Amino acid sequence: MSNLLIKEFSFILVYLLVGLGFAVTPIVISYLIGPVSRGPKRDEVYECGVETIGTAWVQFGITYYLFALMFLAFDVDVLYLFPVVVAFGKDFVIRDFIEIVIFLGILSLAIVYAWRKGVFDWTMK
Amino acid sequence: MADLYQKLVMLLGDDLTVLILGIVLTLGFIQFNSLFLIWLERKVAGHMQLRLGPMEVGPHGIIQTIADGIKLVGKQLITPRYVDKWLFMLAPVIVLMPVPLAFLVLPVHPGVVVLDMNVGILLIFGFSTLNVLTILMAGWGSHNKYSLLGAIRAVAQNIAYESPLLVTVITAVLWARSLNMSAIVDAQDKIWFVFTPWGALAFLIFLISATAETNRAPFDLPEAESELVAGFHTEYSGMRFAMFFLAEYTNMFIVSAVGVTLFLGGWRGPILPGFIWFLLKSYVLVFMFLWFRWTFPRVRFDQLLGFAWKVLLPIALVNLVVTGGAIKLIDLIR
Repeated sequence: MSNLLIKEFSFILVYLLVGLGFAVTPIVISYLIGPVSRGPKRDEVYECGVETIGTAWVQFGITYYLFALMFLAFDVDVLYLFPVVVAFGKDFVIRDFIEIVIFLGILSLAIVYAWRKGVFDWTMK
Repeated sequence: MADLYQKLVMLLGDDLTVLILGIVLTLGFIQFNSLFLIWLERKVAGHMQLRLGPMEVGPHGIIQTIADGIKLVGKQLITPRYVDKWLFMLAPVIVLMPVPLAFLVLPVHPGVVVLDMNVGILLIFGFSTLNVLTILMAGWGSHNKYSLLGAIRAVAQNIAYESPLLVTVITAVLWARSLNMSAIVDAQDKIWFVFTPWGALAFLIFLISATAETNRAPFDLPEAESELVAGFHTEYSGMRFAMFFLAEYTNMFIVSAVGVTLFLGGWRGPILPGFIWFLLKSYVLVFMFLWFRWTFPRVRFDQLLGFAWKVLLPIALVNLVVTGGAIKLIDLIR
């Protein structure tokens, strides 16, 4: 590893640790100086103010899952675009433009496919 | 000032001085920014509804937020009975942890940046994604139906708007042909990116996506108080609740600052020094977020997701291709 790389990573690490301290300190102070009340109702789940019924960890709509899948496929593809746009137009004449059009065209087919399949229509599945 | 800086460099060495100054300024600014923004939010909300907003503590309520902060420190930290303890306690810490990192690579003044990193913009977006994870941790860990619904909504919304946001960022990077934040500002020395037709469209999409990414109205469905109580932070109280707010308001500033760097020429501007222009432009964008909240009604959730995938993303993709073509045309003419 080069010196520059070590410098950059150590800066990031220090900033993360500082951020951790920045987040933990007020909570610790609050824990130390805050008052303590006791009572049977103190630790109840608030929810919306009345007594809660049943568990909160339940099943929910599968539609969310489809959206997450779409995102996963899409975001990974978008990541490939970053090196492409940095290298864009440095040494090539028109080839890279054609390649980017082909890449995005294939990428767009994913949206068209999902659209036709009705992923974006919010219906009960 | 410059004399003091020289002495510090002699004492500590180059990198350490920059690092320590950067940390001190970053933490100071995060504190100041959230205190100021919470006050501004309440003031703007008040005046837009023909009220005055906070008036009691200090002139025009200017130290109201400090009083609120002191009150929050002195509150008991309540951990409800059935929560998933680790997730519940870690979420407010992790939400704030990556926030200072964005200030590491933001160029605030000509030649002034803590770490001139060649993948700066990737660093910001890489770490800001942790925000979604903490929302899910808070929502799932709370053992509360409304928190869970709010968290799921937040995740679906954040990932839906992440795609158009990234594509517009890529458009700006394509124009500058660099991932380095300083180089992106340098590339806008002749014309700000927003003043090109494709840049204006990209900026518009960026603004809409950024509003959704920061969970601001009209896209504040994760916290829609009329249906979900308070969304994912219903069960949080005292300082833990304040952590979420601190992170939210800092993220608002960060997303504005990134927008300024990518589209509005960063610190560029006549007469005034660079960092003043940078702050001025950033706070104008922040004010627009506050403004949106009192202008647009909240949208329905399926409309929200449909808008991201069916409208914003295709337009952003086409815009990216157009930008690429425009760059080629400009190169050919030259």
